[in-house]
Amino acid sequence: MTTAARTEPRGGGWRLWAFVPLLLLVAVVALFATTGSSVTDLLGRTPPAADEFDIRRVEFERGEIRIRVTNPQPEDLTIAAVTVDDAIVPFTVDGSDTLSRLRSATIVVPYDWVEDEPILVGVTSSTGIETTEEIAAAVATPGPSVSGFLGYAAIGALVGIVPVALGLLWLPSLRRARPEWLAAFMALTAGLLTFLAFDALGEAFELQAALPSALGGAGLVLLGLALSYLTLTFISRRFSSEGAAATGLTLALLVAIGIGLHNFGEGLAIGTSFALGELALGTFLIVGFMIHNVTEGLGIATPAAEERRPVSWRWLVALVLIAGAPTIAGAWLGGYAANDWLGVLFFAAAAGAAFEVVVEVGRYLRDRAPGGLTSGWVLGGFLAGIAVMYATGLLAA
Amino acid sequence: MTKFSRKKLIVAAAPLAAAGPLARIALAEPPQRSATHEGHEHTVTGHAAMIGEDAPSIERNAAVDALLTPPRALPHSPGRLREYELVARDVDIEVAKGVTYPAWTYNGTAPGPVIRATEDDLLRVRFRNDGSHPHTIHFHGIHPAHMDGVFEVVPPGGDFVYEFPARPWGMHLYHCHATPLKKHIHKGLYGAFIIDPPKPRKPAQELVMVMNGFDTDGDGGNNFYAVNGPAFYYARYPIRVSRAQTVRIYIANLTEFDLINSFHLHGDFFRYHRTGRDEVVEYTDTVMLAQGERGIIEIDFANTGRFMFHAHQSEFAELGWMGFFDVVE
Repeated sequence: MTTAARTEPRGGGWRLWAFVPLLLLVAVVALFATTGSSVTDLLGRTPPAADEFDIRRVEFERGEIRIRVTNPQPEDLTIAAVTVDDAIVPFTVDGSDTLSRLRSATIVVPYDWVEDEPILVGVTSSTGIETTEEIAAAVATPGPSVSGFLGYAAIGALVGIVPVALGLLWLPSLRRARPEWLAAFMALTAGLLTFLAFDALGEAFELQAALPSALGGAGLVLLGLALSYLTLTFISRRFSSEGAAATGLTLALLVAIGIGLHNFGEGLAIGTSFALGELALGTFLIVGFMIHNVTEGLGIATPAAEERRPVSWRWLVALVLIAGAPTIAGAWLGGYAANDWLGVLFFAAAAGAAFEVVVEVGRYLRDRAPGGLTSGWVLGGFLAGIAVMYATGLLAA
Repeated sequence: MTKFSRKKLIVAAAPLAAAGPLARIALAEPPQRSATHEGHEHTVTGHAAMIGEDAPSIERNAAVDALLTPPRALPHSPGRLREYELVARDVDIEVAKGVTYPAWTYNGTAPGPVIRATEDDLLRVRFRNDGSHPHTIHFHGIHPAHMDGVFEVVPPGGDFVYEFPARPWGMHLYHCHATPLKKHIHKGLYGAFIIDPPKPRKPAQELVMVMNGFDTDGDGGNNFYAVNGPAFYYARYPIRVSRAQTVRIYIANLTEFDLINSFHLHGDFFRYHRTGRDEVVEYTDTVMLAQGERGIIEIDFANTGRFMFHAHQSEFAELGWMGFFDVVE
């Protein structure tokens, strides 16, 4: 083609050429859409639709069961019958009975359910296909009340804000620590964050596997991971001078953001599990979370200790809130509107943030640690961070 | 749903191992469960919510209504010809409110039409197969081997004429006997077959009830149960009968998958004639029928009002096999 030989086409015409493939694609799609069935007919009959619903959430209120369903199928799906424990029950649907692709609806069933007993709900499509969901124990779902709202906030503050603030109190001691010990604690932070990243990643993959195939997939995990990793990279470059590793408060801020994202996922998990009666949120567990998250405070305090300027109280409060407050937001979201899709995204984002901060800490240690990245203090600290998490996990098993 | 994995719990609780004293304090105060049971507000979810317009059944259907009343009995007249025509057709039928099922039917309904003759009538049933699979009609009763609907399988587009003297008198049934048998029956190819005795039965309000079920999602278990087709049909449209006259129900069990089915009447008792004959008669309010078992129920209602009838297997009742008699003076 003669046009291909031209290195500099005149005017802006070459820009228009960029639209040609798009226009042709539209034309081909339109052509296939109108005559497509004759192409697929060459292959024989397509199998019938699966017609299964995706039961997202089953909530129990006094004298009432609420079933949230989504249509994961390409074709429209109609809710025709609802069963509870293999009995047809009267029901109402908020909105239309017929759900188009990926649309959701809430089915409301007046039902005198029995507390703490297992219950089986089923939703049957107009083609007679029944989708069932078994609930291990029926427990009243906390409704949106002021006390419930405050309760989630209190739990979020207890497991998120308080321990991080306590951990930050190590700041004065760390400021007086020898550089080798500071480097070791920084590496310990990196090890701890690596552990959290793997944990969050595992959680994200587990959750996405349960999603309808149209919504799930490893791609969603990658999206969340890349989104948070690259965003944090961008932020760290904005705050630190060209080419240099993030240090001091900048690094502390990055660690706080990474931990904050992780704590959001943690809050989401706590809120959802509690709301759906899967988790007995006892004193034991809350104390566990508190002790666990004190180490997160240590992770923020260590880079902050390296900051040469005095650290103002405002900065400290900001760091605590960035790292701890997302637990409250996560608990609210999980308690009232949990959504698997969001869960995958946030756990993946938590993993991405943690990995990014590990890289930042690595750059810092490479530049600042006595003996660099390969010193015994750094290697030992990093390994200790992972090993302590793993070993205590074994002991608790 | 975002689940709290066991692993995550372990990780979260891990620091406890390093914090013995704190843990001990924590364990000393186990999570408190509310001891007072909150006043449970009981909603009206009983059978009151399952009658008339509130019962989840299909719109009024003339073909279904026609199945409830059998053809009239004719006096004994040996050798008289009784002719019926049955056509096997694949039809999507509504088996419960809003739920369609790709059924195989005789004449468009599942169960098929009621076939009735008097003992010693010459029964002639012209059968044409307009369905997509080979079918037959297998009648219960006494007849020659080549009229048994087992060997003479009728291919799609084919036809066959069944002809034999109707006997013995009683309540019988017919169904397809092509293989796979279970599939051909539960898809809808069955119906009631009444042979009247030479001495006419006393006048009564006659009804037919063929117990059936539909496995709409193909998992080998019924999703819906009923008599004469759609779930909860007679709950939505109660059967009006008169207290002044005996109610006679010709009942047959053609439920697949479940070994037995049953009929239970509220507020009264009935005489049950096993296989529609007089050899075994029982006075009861509940009768159990195995697959293929059938009989005649005769009720003389003592009271007027609405009386429920249903399978005494609660599961069947709650999946559609439940209805009401509206007994008037």
